[in-house]
Order: sequence, then C-alpha cells, then structure tokens
Amino acid sequence: MKTLTKDPLNLIIAGVGGQGNVMISLLIGKAFIKEGYFVTIGETYGASQRSGSVMSHLRISRENQYSPFIPNGRADIILGMEPVETLRILQQFGNSDVITIANSRLIHAAGMEYPSLDKIVEAIEGLSAKSWLINATDEAMKLGDPIFANMILIGALVGSGIFPIDKKSMELVLRESFPGEKFDTNMVAFNKGMELVAQ
Amino acid sequence: MDMKVKGSKELLTEVIDAGLCTLCGACAGGCPYLVSYKGRIVLLDSCTISQGQCYQYCPRTYTDMDAISQQVFGTPYSGDELGATKEVLMTRSTDARIKESAQYGGTVTSLLSLALEEGFIDGAILTKMSDDKTPSVFLAQSTEELLQCAGSNYMACPVLQALNQIPKDSEQRLAVVAMPCQILALSKMRQEPPQDRMNIGNVKLVVGLFCTWALSPDGFHQFLKENLNLPQVTKFDIPPPPANIFEAYTPSGKISFPLDEIRRFVMPACAYCLDMTSEFADISVGSVEGIEGWNTVIVRTDVGAQLIEMAKEKGKLEVDTLPPENLAHLKEASLLKKKRALQEIITRSGDRKNLLYVSLQQSIIDRLLA
Amino acid sequence: MSGVGIDAPGSTQLFIGNEAIARGALEAGIGVASAYPGTPSTEIMASLISVAKEKNFYAEWSVNEKVALEVAAGASFAGIRAITSMKQNGVNVASDFLANLVMSGIGAGLVLVSCDDPSTLSSSNEQDLRNIAKWLDIPLLEPATFQEAKDMTKWAFDLAEELNSICMIRSVTRIAHARGNVRLGELPKKEQKAHFDSICPVVPTLPKFISYPSAWLHSQLHAKLDKARELFESSPFNWYTGPEEAELLIITGGSCWLYSLEAVKALKLENKVGILKLGTIWPLPQKFIELHLSKSQKILMVEEIDPFLEGSIKELVADLPPDAPRPTFYGKHSGHINAYGELNPDLVIEVIASIMNLTYESRPAEYSKKAEEIPFTYMPPRIMTFCPGCPHRATFWAIKNALRLDGRDGFVTGDIGCYTLAIGPAGFFQMRTMYCMGAGAGVANGLGKLGQFGFTQPVLAVCGDSTFFHAAIPALINGIYNKSNFTLVILDNNATAMTGFQPHPGTGITGMGETTTAVDMEALCRSLGLQVDVCDPFDLENSTATLLKAIAQDGGPRVVIMRRECELVRGRRDKKPPYKVHVDCDKCLGEACGCDRLCTRVFGCPGLVWDSESGKATIDETICTGCGVCADICPQGAIIREAV
Repeated sequence: MKTLTKDPLNLIIAGVGGQGNVMISLLIGKAFIKEGYFVTIGETYGASQRSGSVMSHLRISRENQYSPFIPNGRADIILGMEPVETLRILQQFGNSDVITIANSRLIHAAGMEYPSLDKIVEAIEGLSAKSWLINATDEAMKLGDPIFANMILIGALVGSGIFPIDKKSMELVLRESFPGEKFDTNMVAFNKGMELVAQ
Repeated sequence: MDMKVKGSKELLTEVIDAGLCTLCGACAGGCPYLVSYKGRIVLLDSCTISQGQCYQYCPRTYTDMDAISQQVFGTPYSGDELGATKEVLMTRSTDARIKESAQYGGTVTSLLSLALEEGFIDGAILTKMSDDKTPSVFLAQSTEELLQCAGSNYMACPVLQALNQIPKDSEQRLAVVAMPCQILALSKMRQEPPQDRMNIGNVKLVVGLFCTWALSPDGFHQFLKENLNLPQVTKFDIPPPPANIFEAYTPSGKISFPLDEIRRFVMPACAYCLDMTSEFADISVGSVEGIEGWNTVIVRTDVGAQLIEMAKEKGKLEVDTLPPENLAHLKEASLLKKKRALQEIITRSGDRKNLLYVSLQQSIIDRLLA
Repeated sequence: MSGVGIDAPGSTQLFIGNEAIARGALEAGIGVASAYPGTPSTEIMASLISVAKEKNFYAEWSVNEKVALEVAAGASFAGIRAITSMKQNGVNVASDFLANLVMSGIGAGLVLVSCDDPSTLSSSNEQDLRNIAKWLDIPLLEPATFQEAKDMTKWAFDLAEELNSICMIRSVTRIAHARGNVRLGELPKKEQKAHFDSICPVVPTLPKFISYPSAWLHSQLHAKLDKARELFESSPFNWYTGPEEAELLIITGGSCWLYSLEAVKALKLENKVGILKLGTIWPLPQKFIELHLSKSQKILMVEEIDPFLEGSIKELVADLPPDAPRPTFYGKHSGHINAYGELNPDLVIEVIASIMNLTYESRPAEYSKKAEEIPFTYMPPRIMTFCPGCPHRATFWAIKNALRLDGRDGFVTGDIGCYTLAIGPAGFFQMRTMYCMGAGAGVANGLGKLGQFGFTQPVLAVCGDSTFFHAAIPALINGIYNKSNFTLVILDNNATAMTGFQPHPGTGITGMGETTTAVDMEALCRSLGLQVDVCDPFDLENSTATLLKAIAQDGGPRVVIMRRECELVRGRRDKKPPYKVHVDCDKCLGEACGCDRLCTRVFGCPGLVWDSESGKATIDETICTGCGVCADICPQGAIIREAV
C-alpha cells in the first residue's frame, strides 16, 4: 500500500454528461476506502444526463474528510474523458505540477464551432507537468461500446505510476462491482489502458 | 443600379411586415424557414444567410424593369399601357366541355390542354379551388385535371411556392399560370437561375392573367364562409362596371354582394402594383368587357405566338379581332393602374426619386405622373 | 442502487449524503418512508425503496410532497417511525400541513428532510429552508459531513419522540450528492406494530392529532423548543476547533464547515482562526454560543444561503448584558459573503484573506497567465439541451411551428422538469414563463380570461406527466369551471424523468416495483368533459396540425397529450436503436441558401454534428440514439433513416 506524497491528493475527472464520470469516480473512491483513506467525491448532477460539462472532484486523505470542492489551481491529477473538458478543467484547476491523462476523442458541443484537436492537445500539454493523450474511445469501440473508454482511462491512471492505487487493489474493486462476463471485458479494457500509457 | 441581395430578415422588414407582400410565393417553399399559411408568409425559424434567394426573387425588392424587359423581350421597358405586345386578339375555346367550366372563354384551359397533348409541356402549375373554395396550388397533368382548375377565385394564391418545391432533379417541362407579381418574380428567377432547386429552364410557357387586385385569402374566405353555402357555389365573377358587384353562382341563381363590401379584403400590397396585364408573360389572358364567353389575349413572345398559331391550326380556339373600343378601354384601365400605383409608391416613400422597389426610366416616370 | 442496507456494522462505506441519511433512518428502525422526487433529495427515497422489501418496511413515491408528509405523519400517529424527504420546494408544498402538524405533536419519531439547492443547480428557485424551522418552531439539525448525515438522522427520531415534535434535517447539494466516509452502525431487528391511539393525554375528550386549540398548543410548542435548546447545549454535533484566543472566529454549519476548514488550512491560519461548528441549527444552543463568542472580536458567519445563523446570533448578542463585548460581524449583512448562490472553499479563502489582509495565490502567477491566455474558442460552452432522441425536442418543434403558423403571437407557459430547457435554444425558446410545479397551467388560467381586455394571443400551458398529477389537475379543473381559454399540453414520457425516471400514478408501477392501477390521464381528462387529443411527438406533421387546431379554438381549456417514452428509459431497456441514421453528403446543402444548417444550428440534437471542413452535417454514432426524427427535418431529405 502506497502512501500519499501529497495530502490531500486532488483528482479531477472531467467529461461530458453521460460519459460515466460518476461511475469512474465511485470505483476509484472505493479502492481508496478499502485502504482506509478518507475519500470525498464531489459531482455535478442534473447536467450529467443532458450533455453538459461535468466533473468529479476526488479528495483523498490519510488525515481528514475534505470538502467536495477542489479549490482553484489545486488539482494534482486530471483524468479527462474528453479533450475540451480536460482543457477547461486545466484552465481553472491546473498548476505547474499537475499531471494529465486524457481521452483524445472530441464530443462536439451542439451548434458550436470547434478548433482542431491538435491545438487542444497542444494546449493541454502546455498546461501539464506531464501528460498522456490516449485514444480511449477508438479502443473502446473495438471492444464494442464507447463506454469502455472509462475502464481504459482507469487502467491508464493505474499504469501511469503516479497513482497510489495498484492494479491488484483496482482489480478487487472491479470484481466486486461487475459480475461474471462483465468483469472480464472490463479487465480487458483496463489492461488496454495500462498498455497505452506504458508506450 | 445593381441589386443588393439581402436575407430573410430584410425581406421581413422591407416587404412582408411593410405591407408590400402580394403572397406571390416566390420566397416560400424553397427552404424550411419561409412557408405560406392561410394568406400569410410565415418565418418558422431565424435564418442567418445574409443573401438569400427569398429576397433575390421577391417582386417587391429592387426590380430593374429594363433588365427584366431585356431578359424577356430583348428591348428596354417601354412603359406602354399593355407592355410589350405582338398581337392583341379575342379568343374562345371550341371545346364544349371546356366552355362549360370556363370563367370566360376557356382560352387558358384550351391552350394548356393543347400544350400537354402536343407534348410541349408535361404539366401546368395553376390554382385550384377545393369544394369549400379554398384556393391551393396544383400541378395538372391532363385535360381532366386542367378542367378541375378552371375558374377565377379572386384570392391571392402563392403559386410560386409549388415551383420552389419541385425536386431538384426533375425534368418535367412546365407551364405556369400566374398573376403579374408572380410573373415578375419568375422573370427574376430566369435572370439569375435559382441554386439548389429545379432547373428554371424547365418552365417552358408562362400564361399571365389580367389582375386589378387580389383578395386576402384568409379574410375573404371567412367572409364567403359566413355568407354562402360554399359547396353549392359553382363560379365567382366580378362583372364589368358599372355593375359594381361581386357574384357567386349557385344552382338556384346568382347571389351578389356590393363590391364596396368586398374591397376591404383587397390585399394592401396590390396598391403598389404597376402591372395589370401580366406584361412579362408569353401570353396574357383576361375577359372581354361586355362580351360574355370570350377572352382578351395579348400575345407577347415567339413562344406565345407559336402556341396561338398551333391552337388556330388545330381548331382548338376560335380567334377574332378585339373590338377597338375594348382595346381602348383595356389600355385606359391598365394605364390608370400604373398611374395610381406610382402615386401610391411616391406617397409612401415621400420622395419622387424613391420608388421603393421599382427602377424605371425617368421618362416613363414623368409620363405616368403627367 | 446502493448498499444502504448492508449488514456490516463498523465497516466504512463510501456513501453520498443522501445514502447516509437513508442509512440513518434504517438504523433508527423506520417503518414508513414517503417522498416525491426532487433534486437533490431523490436518492434518500430511492435508496430506501431499494431495500424496503428486504428490510420489511414500506416506502412510496407519493403524488406530491404535501401528501408525502401526510403519509409519514399518518404512520407516526399509529406508532410507526417515519421519514419523508424532499427538495426545498417540496417543503413549500407541504408547508400548510407542516404548519398545522407542529401544533399537535406526533406519535412515533417523525423526521422531515429538506435538501436545498443553493445556486439552483437543478431547481426553479433558490431558497433556504432553515428559515421554516424558525418560522414554524421546528427543531432542525444540519449535517456537515457524510458521517453526521447518518448520525444526525438516526438521532433525530429519538429527539422527535423525546420532544413530541417533528424534527427536520437540512441538507444541501454538496452534502446530499457528494460522497464520503460513513461508518455504519447496527440495524435494528425488532418488529413493528401499528395502532392508532387517538386519546389526548391532557384532555381525554379531545383527539390527539389536531391543531386545536392553536394558541394554547402554540405555547406548548414553545416549551418544546426550550427543551430542545437545553438538549442542544451539550450536543456532540457542535464543537470548536482553534486557539483559545482567535484573531477571527468563524461560526458555520453544514457544508460550509468543510469549506471553512479547508480555507483556514490553505491560508495557514490554524493558530489564528477558530471555527465554531454548529450542527443543531434551531433552536440555537444559546449558552454554548455565547461561551465561544468571547474568543474573538471579529466573527465571520459562513453559511448557505440566507444570513439565518447570522441574524439569529445577532439576536442573541442583542440580549447580552450591556457590558458584554460586542464583536464585529462579517458575513452577508456586511456584504463580505453573497446572500445568494452556493459557497465553496475559494470564496471562503477570499473572504478570510480580505478580512485578515492577506494575499493568497493558489498557483504560480506565470501558470495562471498561461492558463488565462487559452483562447475562448478552444473551449466552446456546452449549452444544456435535451438528450438525443428526447421527445420534448420534437414536441417543442411542433409547438414552435404551430405558434408561428397561427401568427397571433401565441406563447407557452410552463414549469419545472426536463422540459424547462425549452426556455432556451433546446426548445427553440418557446417557454416564456417558468415557475414551480403546475404553475404553467395556473398562469394560463389567468391569461385565458383576458379576452375582455383585447387579449388574442393563444396560450399553451405545458406540464409533464408527473407534474400533471402533482399539481396541474386543480388548475385544469379551475379552467373548466371558470371557462378559461387555453390549451394544456401534457408531455407524457411515462416517467418523472429529470430526477431519475421514478414512476408516478400514471405509470402503473409503484416505487417498490409492484404493478398497480395506472391512473389513465386521458380518461381522467375526458371524464371532466375536456376535448383530448393524443399525439406521438415524433409524428411532427400530425402534432403540428393537432396543436394548430387546438389553439385555434375558443371557450374553455382543451388538452393535447404528447405521448412518447423518455429516450433514456427506452435506450436502457431496448439496447437496439429503432433506426440507423446517416447523412447523404451529396444531398446535404449545409450552409447554403435553402438550408442554413437547419439540423445542427436550429434543431440542435447533440447527435447532429457540423463538420466545418467538409461543410456538411454528420451523425455522431456514439451519441445518436437512432430516433430518426431529424430525417423529417432536413429540407433536402439528406438525412436518411433505415429501420434496424
């Protein structure tokens, strides 16, 4: 069991409503609870189902229960499910030490003009101390459903080496959360995520 | 002066909300934003296009009469009472069935029927009245269907909307029977062919109708509903002065209303119209005052002349000379409409140099205002 | 839904505040739970419902919050502990009964949970329901952590029985919907027996559960509050952290406690700033507070939303002996903190820094500069819109067209639900009034009587199916009785959708999943003598024509039911989409005259994406749900739908 290099550890999951950020945050949170940490998860609700910008704030601490809001400029890790949302979160919560892992598939805001993905990726890299951009959606489609992008991102997070939860601990949580076959497919996605950041 | 083409927003402020709209339908049916409904042009959503075909073809946005006259006849706009004329005739159908359904002489039905038979056109776009006398646009493709459309209804009908809705790749050759304002719009379309719509070159024949004014479909139809048993009515007519009445024909006889009672339904936009005889048509057709069962026909183009010639040869039409006093009277009435319209335009604009939508040579303006 | 029923006392779970409250109610041994869905309270009932059968208690979705409170009260009167939960507006709806109930007292423990929504993240209005405790004399507790949410709820039942009074718990979104550590307690195993004993202990001839004689009962109620105050003086839910003498004393409660803690830590002021946390919010533990007031000359009040504690504590201070020190208060009255909108750690950091004259930098200035320089165009906002495949989009398209064609400047009056988005581009800006449940129908009544003042605009009221049963029926009956001219459009998607697809009286399924009589909305309206049309919103032509006919009519009200299942419910059930949709690029006109991007710019379904490089519309397969409606919108027939 790893200890925290920073207490509290502030992790933000950024995405678009309907992508499943709530599920990811819960799985990660459970992993930490099992290891005896204080965990607070703050969510945006309501907008979640209706294609709005959503974020989950995770506060992990050995010492205290923290508020469900990560203050501006205080994120340690950003897990982005969508590039524009990742950038949006970085702008508000990033700092010179922040580490970013993001899905590179855009979800267009209805009726809006979009800059090219390259420009957004460049901006994300510019605002992160270290960053990984992975094509989680494409890999997820290969497994049959874009929702597997979530598991791929969790795998990437665990595989990145910056995270105090290891594969074994995460696997335990996944086994509890997904019955039978579902666990198997999710593990394939998880492993894919680990693979993608190892490159 | 070149036309500055604007968009639907300006169409609304400059024409529709300004009371200049004649419900010709040129702006409607070509896009999801502008449609006609119960005598109004309705904008269903905002359109951001700064230069639209709705504005471009509207007969009440900037209209260069010389340019259009050049387009249709190869000569400048003369400002003569009846417009460009090859010949003025008096005609009527020789077909008993057509004469029975006809408003006057059945000329339009005969000519279209001939054009269909000879394979000159595949269909004709005109107005048709339902049983309860609501006018709508119809594509007739046989003589039977033409007969269903015979008869005047006096209400404005957005005929050009149907033209805008014809599939892009259609190869059907068409005739259009229309009012002066609609033919003006059609001429603009032929000048600068519409984009992403049916090839305007498919319109092979334009038959114009004489028109003093049109009645607002919603208001006037309501009036008819309240005062008549509409399915019983077989025909409407406005006999020539001095009768000053509007007539509805029923099996039990004619019911008439004082024309003054009907005038309140006249479309306000008609006051600004300079054209009584559809000056840019191939053939223009109207009644003959005082002579029942005949039509006045003005032949204007080669296409029109050819068709009349064919009709004579094939014995479809009885052709005669229009009596001189009828011709004189027609010219007088037509000139009067031009003068009144120009006066109305100048009164509204407040400036003799600002003719709202129309561009005319100064000599014509002076002559009409003299 | 959740593991609120887990039999693992001593274990730590990761619960949202609502689940913690539900667990607290379970540990208190409730027998009845009743609620109406309302963000941010919904999960309390939803998690209770999920374990009701297993744990042998009764839970229901009631038709509205007033009835929900009455249901819980009924159980309490017969000796069964009961809980009812609702959002702030629900308490408004229940308030008449509540105002009467406080007079009589209760039977078994009865707890009302109000979940407020500061900043109206998902509500029609912003309102601080702590005020009702003061207004109606109700003991009120407010949890500051997820653990407290459980512990307070459990204790509230004992407190209610000790005081013979309904007790309130107040929560806010950031506790209700946030997740945190909750250590579980034991679940009771005893059986419950219900019996209604109506004898008043004081005057045997009077029934027990009446609010009469009110003046006398009112004085009794005040005595109960005095007793509560005594108990609260030594409550474990109130405590102080910080130095004995502080440069600044923060008095706070609820969600703001964690914000205050974090703010003080961020500014490294643990030795200079003290925090007095209050969990017993009403009545205030007067002596306890007075004891700590002397710790500092400066007092910062941090609370959401109104200056409730601030005002109440100033009342305390006014009653102090003349020689007692009068501290300087900072808070909403002084303008240091907004008296509207929700708080967060950053706002609290800002206030403390300004009062203490400090500067605070959360990150290096060069980073902030770099971050601020990112062009606005790189991060287009996501405007809230209807889900892909939502029937409301189609309904409001038909409504928009019908009103425009009608041409008499007609408009829509509405209320709160998913369809509230119709005030914006999602629903083509059609909804022009929006208030509480059923308000659309009510307001339409007034407008529909203005004919004598020259009013000719068609009035279209909209309400959801759940809202219809909750609140719109009386308004509709009023329209019939008073002959008001309007059209009521009921958006029947067979669910209380916005809050999470709960069933309602029209769905034929109870909260606990049993089949029951479905109240037939159509038959009900017809039985009232109304003209009723039922349309499928996806049939745009028919819907538009039906609406046009309806609004052209005169006389009393008429009803149009737009019926089609919520897409999210359908999608979860039938994994397969009805159509596969794609754009024929050869036919797509895009920005040209004749289209002007109608599908992506106006219709706005998230599944339709504009490709600016090719100048064509496309379908995003990962978002499109295959409803196929857009195929009928395209003027060129370029959107093709193929049955799957």
